[in-house]
Amino acid sequence: MSGAANPVSPPDITIDCDPDKLAEFEQRIADGVLIEPGDWMPEAYRALMLRMAEHHANSEIIGALPEGEWITRAPSMLRKLALIAKVQDEVGHGQMLYRVSQELGKSRDDMLRDLITGKTKYHNCFNYPCPTWGDIAMIQWLIDGAAIMNQKTLADGAYGPYVRTMNRINMEEAFHFKSGEDMVLTLMGGTKGQQTMGQDAFDRWWPVALMFFGPADKPNAEQLPAMKWRMKTERNTSLRQRYVNRFAPAAMDMGLAIHVCEKDADGIVTSKKPDEAIGLNEETGNWNFTEPDWDEFWRVIRGSGPCNAHRVALRRFSYEQGAWVRRAIGTGAVATPPAA
Amino acid sequence: MTMQDMMKDPLANIVLMHADDKLMLGHMQSDWTGLAPILEEDIAASSMSQDDLSHALVLYDHLAARFDLTADAIAFERDAADYRCCDLITIPDEFDWAIALTKRWFVATLTALGVDRLATIDDEDLSTRCKRLIPEQAIHVRHLSEWMIRLGSGTEESRSRMQAAINTLESDAGMMFEPPDHSIDPVDSFCCGREGIFQEWKTSCEDTLQRAGLSANLALPPESMIGGRRGTHATHFTDQLAELTEVRRAEPAPAW
Repeated sequence: MSGAANPVSPPDITIDCDPDKLAEFEQRIADGVLIEPGDWMPEAYRALMLRMAEHHANSEIIGALPEGEWITRAPSMLRKLALIAKVQDEVGHGQMLYRVSQELGKSRDDMLRDLITGKTKYHNCFNYPCPTWGDIAMIQWLIDGAAIMNQKTLADGAYGPYVRTMNRINMEEAFHFKSGEDMVLTLMGGTKGQQTMGQDAFDRWWPVALMFFGPADKPNAEQLPAMKWRMKTERNTSLRQRYVNRFAPAAMDMGLAIHVCEKDADGIVTSKKPDEAIGLNEETGNWNFTEPDWDEFWRVIRGSGPCNAHRVALRRFSYEQGAWVRRAIGTGAVATPPAA
Repeated sequence: MTMQDMMKDPLANIVLMHADDKLMLGHMQSDWTGLAPILEEDIAASSMSQDDLSHALVLYDHLAARFDLTADAIAFERDAADYRCCDLITIPDEFDWAIALTKRWFVATLTALGVDRLATIDDEDLSTRCKRLIPEQAIHVRHLSEWMIRLGSGTEESRSRMQAAINTLESDAGMMFEPPDHSIDPVDSFCCGREGIFQEWKTSCEDTLQRAGLSANLALPPESMIGGRRGTHATHFTDQLAELTEVRRAEPAPAW
């Protein structure tokens, strides 16, 4: 579900840089040629691409957890089936992205162990709670909607295996988005209680969706490796603006109000007021909006979010519980990793 | 026609027995989505839980048409005593893959035999629906049997865990053969004969167990033993039913 809008520091691009080979490599990227695993690439490119694909894979399998919690409580047979299929897709995306990462030189077991010991990260948005069924609707509509927008730009990147994986993932994400939209429409067209559930969940997820694209890039982003080598093709702020232009009016059409909220440490809204900035700017054609709380973003990404510990602990529990099965069939994992 | 009419109908009770098994099996297995030991098997197990729930839906749809109900009402809105599933399925697995796998394998092996028989019944709608389930059910049995063999013959650790799971579950497995309704003659009307289906199930299970290097004491409990199929459910079933229906009960609504 999640794109790779994560703040990672680039590796030293001067390492292993044969100037002629580098120039040829960069020309191929400029010409729109896809880079394949067997091609020459700077070590820094391999390292950065691995970090990006691994982060994305981690995000998929962590992203399965919050929605997975609601499968057993889904309120109809069709919703239950759709939610299992949706979470299954996320696990499948993780599997595909781990394979892309494995080809870049890191074993799956090493990646899973690094995830559960906190050495590697996953998308920040999964560190927020899902206290109601309404949150499932909003994740599928708002977060999958954000992921599609981000991943469409990543599918325009330069690394062949990742681009092909993005194209396939985006097709499936389109179903998730439609399913989420249908759930939101059902809630907002339902009883008073369902509408309240929808609005409360929207209040929790709107700012998370705005943060989804990450903080503003550096002024020289186009000259830095991620954009220069077409691992990423659009600035975070541009993506966020396009997202608001698309989703703010759609939310209002469905009867949702856009609020600026205060949250407690558990991610639950404690007070809210209408976002007075919201509205179409006729001059620019863009929708104005109130920026999310970036202090909160950094707090959560550094590990102090409402669900960071819970998500990683559950992944670790799953890893440890399944170790005997993997040992029996001879894949990976021979021991439990040390405490994080 | 009402839910009560459905519950008084002997054939409906047999259909519900398999459908409710499928509902709760899919429900329990779906809790593993994202948490299975291997990503590839996570995806496979998730497909199987979707199959199980879809199979339940196919059978509920048959009953819904016959008794003027909806599949969701049948799945979500009965009293606990009206569910005909066996309580083996809802025994908590505590995310022990050996317990989860063994339960699924025991139940899937029985369901394969059950839908084979229901597919021959003199009811065109029901038999057509059951014929659609047969090939998918066969894949489930094959997949789960292969896992039983693989883990039974894997390492000493995996063999020991699988044997422990069998030992934990084998006595409850016999209660899968409880007739689902007091009025059903277990010899003539269990859509097969209770003894006959048990023997066929036992033979199939023992064949796989032998190849896996595992063993089980599989016995048919006396007919007088009352359990989940006749509505006397264990607490772990009612706990799962409460979870299954939590959102729907919290806010009665025309649509979800």
